[in-house]
Amino acid sequence: MKLDTSGLESAAPLFGVTSELVDGFSSAPSFELPVTTDFDGFQKEAIQMVKPARGTTTLAFIFKEGVMVAADSRASMGGYISSQSVKKIIEINPYMLGTMAGGAADCQFWHRNLGIKCRLHELANKRRISVTGASKLLANILYSYRGMGLSVGTMIAGWDETGPGLYYVDSEGGRLKGTRFSVGSGSPYAYGVLDSGYRYDLSIEEAAELARRAIYHATFRDGASGGVASVYYVGPNGWKKLSGDDVGELHYKYYPVMPSTVEQEMVEVAGA
Amino acid sequence: MSIFEYNGSALIAMVGKNCFAIASDRRLGVQLQTIATDFQRIYKFHDRLFMGLSGLATDAQTLYQRLVFRHKLYQLREERDMKPETFASLVSALLYEKRFGPYFCQPVIAGLSDENKPFICTMDSIGAKELAKDFVVAGTASESLYGACEAVFKPDMEPEELFETVSQALLSSVDRDCLSGWGGHIYVVTPTEIKERILKGRMD
Repeated sequence: MKLDTSGLESAAPLFGVTSELVDGFSSAPSFELPVTTDFDGFQKEAIQMVKPARGTTTLAFIFKEGVMVAADSRASMGGYISSQSVKKIIEINPYMLGTMAGGAADCQFWHRNLGIKCRLHELANKRRISVTGASKLLANILYSYRGMGLSVGTMIAGWDETGPGLYYVDSEGGRLKGTRFSVGSGSPYAYGVLDSGYRYDLSIEEAAELARRAIYHATFRDGASGGVASVYYVGPNGWKKLSGDDVGELHYKYYPVMPSTVEQEMVEVAGA
Repeated sequence: MSIFEYNGSALIAMVGKNCFAIASDRRLGVQLQTIATDFQRIYKFHDRLFMGLSGLATDAQTLYQRLVFRHKLYQLREERDMKPETFASLVSALLYEKRFGPYFCQPVIAGLSDENKPFICTMDSIGAKELAKDFVVAGTASESLYGACEAVFKPDMEPEELFETVSQALLSSVDRDCLSGWGGHIYVVTPTEIKERILKGRMD
């Protein structure tokens, strides 16, 4: 399997590589058919080998002031919690963030690779890469590894010349532009809170509180999400981490324990 | 995930000085989704006999209802409460009756037998009794629970110290398990009183 070295190749096409069969067009990449009889099912085996669980909750949304990005911090292996302090918001460069959902190694490696490609673009073109461009670079790389078992469900959030940008990119090769996304096993719960509280003209504090609450509610209901709810804000001057609250404490802040009235008196049991 | 991990559960029973403590988590879930945070897993059969049931919640509830029926009949016939050892044998027999289509539960039985001696035991889903002198655990977090109990157990603890120990062991173990937790429920039973407490835990 060839590693993806497209970042090292020059942009100019090679001389003399023309195909007699295709007039006027540069030779299109041909489709290699897989050597199998089961076209629909053979990819499943590769994916099951790595068993992506995507136990996490991440969300991001665009509002008037910029982009708000939030995530939990739990890593789980089946039922076991392997860590409560994983950094799921990855800093690609000072004005772009990526979120991690799926395989941790896959997300960390490919986000770092994307950061390298973005820097190379800056050096080659003397200007920052747009969020559109960065997400396209990542999506193309992931598409070329489609079916090999990578598990990446990420959101690329940033601020470029056109303003705030947010894209969802996954290892199936999907890339979607949007204003509100949530990814992971806890995303249905986060969507519920996010969708009901969202307004375009939120202030930064209100948006941060909405993001924090959405993550908190997802950690409450979803077994595979928990730990610390981190909230980042991406504005015209780049990203800034706003808060990292332990969700155990957030629960008692949002739902403080009231001393309840005694329903049953303690009964004295007669000694034997 | 296996059928035993469908609902998620955590149970401990530990022996102290003329007393015992039995504790459980409070989560009821459907795989990763949490449905309730006040689910009762520990049942009182009489003032000196408690049983906790881990595993599939529907089987736990059915098994409890069948055992309550048998115990009440016993009380009517014998005109006295069942001893914990006898009850354990009853549960074991009831579970083995379903040897080839078992209840997907693991019971934890704790009680005070003759001369106020604390009695604890656990069973697998087909009724193999395991009598222990110090502590027994069950549930999805059982491996963490074994480690935590082993680390903090001391023989002959007084009720208050026993309560602290069991709470610590339970909460720290369920914090490493996605499928159990969301609070704790603990009974500390001595010959003269039963203290029931709800534990404040991490709700994630």
